[in-house]
Amino acid sequence: MKTNLFQYVPGNSVIHRMNPVTKILLTIVICVAAFLSGNLFYLAGLLVVDLLIGIIAGVAGKTWTIFKGLLKIAIFLFVLQILLVRNGTPVLWIITDEGLLTAARVVIRLVVVCMPLALVLAVTRVTDLTNSLVQVLHVPYQYAFTLSTAIRFVPQFLEEMAGIMEAQTARGVAFDKARGLKKFSMILPLCAPLLISSVRRTDQTAAAAEVRGFRLRTRTSGYKKYPFTAVDLGAVLFCALLLAGAILLK
Amino acid sequence: MIVFQDLSFTYKGEKQPALQEVCLTVPDGGFLGVIGPAGAGKTTLARAISGMIPHHYSGDYYGSVTVNGLDTVETSLDEISQLVGMVFQDVDSQIISPMVEDEMLYGLENFGVPREEIPGRVEDALEKVGIADLRDRTIGSLSGGQRQKVAIASILALKPRILVLDEPTGELDPRSSRQVFSLLKELNEEQGITVILIEQKIMLLCEFARQLAVLNGGRVIFQGETREVLAHSDELQALGVNCPRVTTLSSILSEKTGEKQPACINLDEAEAMVRRLIP
Ligand SMILES: Nc1ncnc2c1ncn2[C@@H]1O[C@H](COP(=O)(O)OP(=O)(O)OP(=O)(O)O)[C@@H](O)[C@H]1O
Ligand SMILES: [Mg+2]
Repeated sequence: MKTNLFQYVPGNSVIHRMNPVTKILLTIVICVAAFLSGNLFYLAGLLVVDLLIGIIAGVAGKTWTIFKGLLKIAIFLFVLQILLVRNGTPVLWIITDEGLLTAARVVIRLVVVCMPLALVLAVTRVTDLTNSLVQVLHVPYQYAFTLSTAIRFVPQFLEEMAGIMEAQTARGVAFDKARGLKKFSMILPLCAPLLISSVRRTDQTAAAAEVRGFRLRTRTSGYKKYPFTAVDLGAVLFCALLLAGAILLK
Repeated sequence: MIVFQDLSFTYKGEKQPALQEVCLTVPDGGFLGVIGPAGAGKTTLARAISGMIPHHYSGDYYGSVTVNGLDTVETSLDEISQLVGMVFQDVDSQIISPMVEDEMLYGLENFGVPREEIPGRVEDALEKVGIADLRDRTIGSLSGGQRQKVAIASILALKPRILVLDEPTGELDPRSSRQVFSLLKELNEEQGITVILIEQKIMLLCEFARQLAVLNGGRVIFQGETREVLAHSDELQALGVNCPRVTTLSSILSEKTGEKQPACINLDEAEAMVRRLIP
């Protein structure tokens, strides 16, 4: 199911035990490194790092699904790029060597950057993510709450959408036969009522938070604490290594 | 003590008032059952006690509600909510966290419950509702009934003096419903917690609630001891509020025998009545 692609997978791997803030740092460092370096071998190395992280975290299956999904978009972009880039010497038809290189770079960067962003949610509880943002990085709780609520409502929204589509299908609407734009135009009218009910519901959730002391919450309210450990130190060193590599192999 | 004095409330943007001239008193340690057809204003009544009206939902507000002597308009929502715990009708909108454990912690953390007290309270509440095994699950992986239990447990952990529950057993099977009701009775009798319970399962409600209030079209049309209210079974039936069958039996027998029989609220009483009438 698509809906639980981003859902947390419980576990006790090194990645799970890492401080959520460190995971965010690692994600950011991978993104920055991918843009600092244009070296194809280095970028391919980053891709391997991404996949390894997924395997170490015990979410290999999910990593693979995300990878395959990204690959489809990547291939599309790759073709677009090689057709568009005009500089360099032609290799085949209108395709140039320069075009091939640029396209490969763009595509690997895309995959390298998107993978950890998706994986972070699979190996971190959203509550830990927001709590640590508040506790360690001093992000105002209101913002953190907004973020976590948004993440929480996405699967619910999709679930309700699936429910409505099922009900419509039972009434003879052929969603499954339609494709592309046609399907989109069939789904669109369903979004409005769904959005309205979501807004009412989000409002109630806000009320639910309010009657349980939302406004009283301070930076130190969280029961769980998020100390930095040896695992985090290791991860930070690894980050430094990645950045150094990116700069050296420009 | 909760006192409604002529409370009328219209949600912002609505024409019809959701509550009209409601006068109602719930004594300390009382157990009030609230019934009424859909749209009668039951949820609105609950929101007025928990301070969400007028602090979260705005609209035209006349009259007053006092909770333990505090006027809910003048008292901050934070203060009221440490006194009143509310279980929402729509469980999915009540649950804030993606994990059961985090949901249990949320209110405890915010209200500044001492750290060393927190684990005990969480375990205790989960145990009471019978879901200790769900502690590490994600909310998304739970059934509707299990979610409902999580919502109830997360409020019980806060140990409020007043509990307001808005159809808390809507998704529960009969056995679990009874369990929840028994738990509420226990809290009410042993710890003196005031319970306001909105419920459609009238049979159960009559068995557990000491007072009943019947709402219709935003008005409280009957209130009093459960037995007194049930004596109006004909009027209730006309509103579409089904009375327990034993109560219907006692009113039919009153009619047939030509002498007023006291309204029965459980099987034992009905049996006694029948035995008395058929020697
Ligand atoms: N958030 C809201 N905004 C505007 N109007 C509302 C809101 N909530 C309820 N109402 C309206 O107030 C009236 C009373 O609704 P309320 O939810 O209190 O009824 P209820 O007795 O709880 O019904 P049910 O048995 O369906 O839960 C209804 O007409 C409803 O449309
Ligand atoms: Mg309601």
